[in-house]
Amino acid sequence: MTDAAHPVTGLDEVVHQRVRLGILTVTHEARRVEFGYLRTQLELTAGNLSKHLSVLEEAGLIEVEKGYEGRRGRTWITLTDSGAAALNEEIGRLKQLIARVETSGS
Amino acid sequence: MTANSIPAADDPRRLLSDLRALAHRVRLHQRMTWVALLVLSAATFAAIPVDWFGMEVNCQPDGGCQFARNGMLWYWIPATPLAYAAIAFFYLRAARARGLGGRRVLPYAITGAVTTIVFPAAWLAVTTYFESHPIPDQPLPYWWFVLDRLVMPWGMIGVTLLVLAWLERNVALLLFTLGYLALVLLVLPMNFGFGPPHFGIRAGMAVPQIIVGVVLLVAALGFRRAARRHR
Repeated sequence: MTDAAHPVTGLDEVVHQRVRLGILTVTHEARRVEFGYLRTQLELTAGNLSKHLSVLEEAGLIEVEKGYEGRRGRTWITLTDSGAAALNEEIGRLKQLIARVETSGS
Repeated sequence: MTANSIPAADDPRRLLSDLRALAHRVRLHQRMTWVALLVLSAATFAAIPVDWFGMEVNCQPDGGCQFARNGMLWYWIPATPLAYAAIAFFYLRAARARGLGGRRVLPYAITGAVTTIVFPAAWLAVTTYFESHPIPDQPLPYWWFVLDRLVMPWGMIGVTLLVLAWLERNVALLLFTLGYLALVLLVLPMNFGFGPPHFGIRAGMAVPQIIVGVVLLVAALGFRRAARRHR
């Protein structure tokens, strides 16, 4: 072991989850995304997606806004500044992890 | 992407690759490149009659002619911000219909609208300069012609398309724009038109604009076709 902490120790349990990372990635790219779009792209059921969104919203990483377009209800998800920072941090840690694995393997 | 949690031994490289693919897919869904090209093509075609009828031409008995493209100057001042407002509107509407935010287009539309002032400002600067300085006897250097073409509306269209290519991470648009800029800066005489004996002054000015309009239109159709194939 080196003096620096292993990247795994810094992984955020809320963010370090495949679906939640997907939600943050899509929202980061689109700035604002509709529930139905996320469900289709991540191939999830509405219930499953809702659960993940609740976790992210409670952690303050996303904001959920419900409204209507005509008679149709629509839910929009926006990434917060903390969410963007958490995503960047997670990706940085994943890259560190890859670098660490490659270094130890060579 | 699947609904599974990340197992402890999951390959982070694969996860990163999946996230990149997902981000790329979102970017593809947000793209409306063909709309931007179509609107710019329409604005270019609409400018042709304004340039034709708004041009002041004074020919002397010795055969020499002076011209002032007043129509073009006044047309592009409102047409440029209107064109970019239309592009932003169509982008945002389409993105919203797909369930996405469309803020990516706003820096492009704002840059495009800002370029409105470049051509009148350059025209004003040149006019002011030659009011107190003699017109040079020697031919102007080649770079001067290229710079003149760059500040014209068609050059500015190319510059803002570079911004869109960067915002959309769109390699195909980047390649098209580089070709387009080479055409309007180095090949077509956008500033002085095609000369006699084949063309009069007005027709000589119209032909390069028709070519630019057709190039933008063909590109719009090509990008639309490519976008449909992706979906």
